[in-house]
Amino acid sequence: MSQTVEIRSPGARVRLGAVFLGFLKVSLLGFGGGLVWARRIVVERHQWMNEQEFAETLTLCQLMPGPNIVGIAVCVGSKLRGAIGAITAVGGFILFPWTVGLSFGGLVLQHAELGIVRGILGGLSAAAAGLLIATGIRLLMPHRKRWIALVFAACAFAGMAFTKLPLLVVLFGLAPLSIAATALESARAR
Amino acid sequence: MNSSPASLVFAAHLAVLSSISFGGFPTVLPDVHNFVVASGWVTDREFANFFAVSQVVPGPNMILMMSLIGLKVGGIAGAIASALATFGPPCAMYYVSYRLWDRFRDMPWQRIVRRALAPLTIGLVIAGGYVMARTGDVGWPSVAITAAAVALMLRTRLSPLWILMAGGASGALGLL
Repeated sequence: MSQTVEIRSPGARVRLGAVFLGFLKVSLLGFGGGLVWARRIVVERHQWMNEQEFAETLTLCQLMPGPNIVGIAVCVGSKLRGAIGAITAVGGFILFPWTVGLSFGGLVLQHAELGIVRGILGGLSAAAAGLLIATGIRLLMPHRKRWIALVFAACAFAGMAFTKLPLLVVLFGLAPLSIAATALESARAR
Repeated sequence: MNSSPASLVFAAHLAVLSSISFGGFPTVLPDVHNFVVASGWVTDREFANFFAVSQVVPGPNMILMMSLIGLKVGGIAGAIASALATFGPPCAMYYVSYRLWDRFRDMPWQRIVRRALAPLTIGLVIAGGYVMARTGDVGWPSVAITAAAVALMLRTRLSPLWILMAGGASGALGLL
């Protein structure tokens, strides 16, 4: 991928079209998760950010709510061309797959009652639910020696899975407690 | 049917949820599920179908899933409103925080908050999967597919795409 690196003089303005196309590519290549492709295109292909900048941006995006990968688009676009750049990058990332997905989805869902479509959708949904559960378990592994983390993960799980409480209540009920416990934990470790 | 109030109510609810979707949008799935099914806009099965379709299309699949719900609630305008409500508020937050990042990147509280939020969001992701596993036509075959997907994802290096396709294929064969 690195053979076609664009040479850019440091002060040159990146064209909005290039920003749009760059993120369009990320969205088309990134089946499921586009993070790998975002790094390739932003860091290797266009050198819009260096490796460290990209890593820091990712850290920032993981701290914030929302889809991390869209956050990368916002930050890169904003770095290159300010607010308009951010909007362009997000547009490039979302517009095409969204249009295709909505048309395709609408079409499939019109036939959702057909026997075979119904079976496929049911199987997909069950498998995708499993992938989510597995992703969560994987994310939990690095925390498995911290009982505080396990307790709060269990509370958040139970709060959403077994009650009909709104997320706002569960999250803001648990977050202050978790922050306090973690602060105590790290104070004690010091 | 005048569906624009419903679209607006749904979009407003999504805007609140997307603003607190720490750890990604799957964390808000149980809340959205309760909200739209209780409102009578979407049936349990339809919700599972939207989830299924959004998983096999490239690109940001949670935005697509919310748009499919919006499409059902209020037509194409509802779909656009739902998409904007799903990514708009986080984008604004990303934008502002990217501009301010240099000021708070080295602060110790930032590390503690992240360490404290991580387990919560992980619990919420698992809850999202659990709720989705119980949505739609649930019986022992679908539970078996979910369990197999968990095992394959944790024990093998198979691409998630293959696991999804295997799930879809077993549904096509009439196992459900």
